[in-house]
Amino acid sequence: MIELLASSLRLSTPLLFAAMGGLLCERAGIATICLEGVMIMGAWAAASVAFGVSDPYIGLCMGILAGMLTMAIHCWLCVNAKADAIVSGVAVNMLAAGVTPLLTKAFFQSPTNTPSLAMEDRFGAVAVPGLEALPVVGPLFNQPWMIYLALVLPFALHYFFYSTGRGLRVLASGDNPEALETAGISPRSVRWKALLWGGALTALGGVYLSTAHASQFTRDMTAGRGFIALTAVIFGKWRPLPTLGACLFFGFFDALQIRLQSETIQGWEVPVQLVQSMPYLVALIVLAGFIGKARPPLAIGK
Amino acid sequence: MKKVLQSFFAPTLGLVLALLAGTTILVCLGESSSVLWEALYNVCFTDFGLGYTLFYTTPYLFTGLAVAICFRCGLFNIGGEGQLYLGAISVVVVATALPGLPSIVAVPLGIATAFLAGGLWGGLAGWLKARRGSHEVIVTILLNFLAIALVNYLLLYPYDNPHGQNPETLEIGESYRIPTLHTLSSWIGMPVFESTPANVSLFLALLMAVACHFFLFHTSRGFELRAVGQNADASRFAGIRVSTQTITALFLGGGLAGLVGVNEVMGYHYKVVEGFSPQYGFTGIAVALLARSSPLGIILSAFLFGILQNSARELEFLSERVTKELATVIQGILIAFVAAQYYWERIYLHLKKRFQSRRQPA
Repeated sequence: MIELLASSLRLSTPLLFAAMGGLLCERAGIATICLEGVMIMGAWAAASVAFGVSDPYIGLCMGILAGMLTMAIHCWLCVNAKADAIVSGVAVNMLAAGVTPLLTKAFFQSPTNTPSLAMEDRFGAVAVPGLEALPVVGPLFNQPWMIYLALVLPFALHYFFYSTGRGLRVLASGDNPEALETAGISPRSVRWKALLWGGALTALGGVYLSTAHASQFTRDMTAGRGFIALTAVIFGKWRPLPTLGACLFFGFFDALQIRLQSETIQGWEVPVQLVQSMPYLVALIVLAGFIGKARPPLAIGK
Repeated sequence: MKKVLQSFFAPTLGLVLALLAGTTILVCLGESSSVLWEALYNVCFTDFGLGYTLFYTTPYLFTGLAVAICFRCGLFNIGGEGQLYLGAISVVVVATALPGLPSIVAVPLGIATAFLAGGLWGGLAGWLKARRGSHEVIVTILLNFLAIALVNYLLLYPYDNPHGQNPETLEIGESYRIPTLHTLSSWIGMPVFESTPANVSLFLALLMAVACHFFLFHTSRGFELRAVGQNADASRFAGIRVSTQTITALFLGGGLAGLVGVNEVMGYHYKVVEGFSPQYGFTGIAVALLARSSPLGIILSAFLFGILQNSARELEFLSERVTKELATVIQGILIAFVAAQYYWERIYLHLKKRFQSRRQPA
């Protein structure tokens, strides 16, 4: 049971990073269905660079940079070129999904994956002193450090949105950019900053996947996690703490699905696909407004 | 006439720039650009290549129309992927349930089932949007995941093919199969496209494009649908039921995407193979954008995307260094260029102004 919880934490982490990144962008007023693409770019850059220089931290930096660059394309298209955010997101996703195998092939002669990283070139488990020795819950406190960061992030973002001036500006740029402009602040620059930071956070999700969760980049390794993160944001009604809950929920089902593979309950083999689709089904019911109504940022896509 | 030319301007520019970018990537990867031209020649002008190009054109036509008809109603149908998988599996379900039907009944039944299955899936998204106020983008994305999970379940358990090596369903009966273009052309004594999977569903796709054009621009229902896309509030005041139009548009869009199943199942594989679609549903967005959601324009743009998809596969054969994802990159660049239209128009106006002021020094 505790192993299942630890596993759900591990699987929630990429979702958390991406969801927090997405939250930042969406609250600034730009719809981001390109989270998937940003994650893939982050994952690819981190794994390749970490392999090239044998240092996960340089890999991490390059992963973040790649994510920011990818998000910058989206931002330029939406903010400067006034493209539709959905269309632009689709374009960015396609670019990322196409560029990464091409580059993998160019650098590593294999279209499907980058070479696997040595143990010391990855982010290994870091034990929290004292807590890891606890009985029962001990394994929860012996994980890669990025997991702890991911868990702190929603609280940081909550503080940022509701207790700082900059956070308030982000919220205003999503809900009422005209008011922001009247106050002498350019929504454009607020959006650029929010999206670049959002890109960095989202990319961390990819970096985690390829250098902490796994030991290499494989094609399509994000497997729709960007879209799930986006769903989590909506599920969490565009608020950091409920979004944390949504990510943990999705992570739990992901862990459960892996756990239930080829297992039988009273002689009945549980179809994996059923468990897999549970979170989507729940999200759909939530979105249909049967469990409280979600209100998007007012000026999103304008 | 000028207007028609103008509407060709941005897509053509985008296409040229995207192809240039693609060539640049090719050269950067250390491949000579002549390989690209060789691939393009092969897929456009050889019998075999053209057959495959037409085979790829068909699903793009369907998914392009599926996106376009929703665009016209102001809706974003990202659910093509799920809708087409359901369309495909429903053909297998019906063919397994009613194996003994003669072709004359079986083929129309298969087509209708594919349309209905995709349509209901799309209509569900429409219902959620119209009645429950959920955003159609995220709903269709979620429905994609659900549809693909459902199809994967069906092809692994109830309809599993025990003799197949890959996860795939049982084959559909002879009577449900539609002839390939090769068979058809052999009947009239001029065999073309030998051993390619191009089949008569291409004609169905072309027919659908014409039907969509007629529906959108020559019927009052189509007019209402477009009116909602232009201005939902004004349409409501004019007495048009916005929610009905929303559901109709997504139903029709879903149905069109579902027809991809006709091409894949009734025309080629004769079964559903896991992951058969190389993102036809998503690429449909690009197809529709390039054609500016004009059903007749989509015929052209789907053919273009067919060429692109096929030449990327060809490139993978010809080149050691390039993978077929080059097509995805080119499509991405193309969408980005077309989406940034406002920016190009501003640059164009800016240049025009400068040009004029230079001509007449005041």
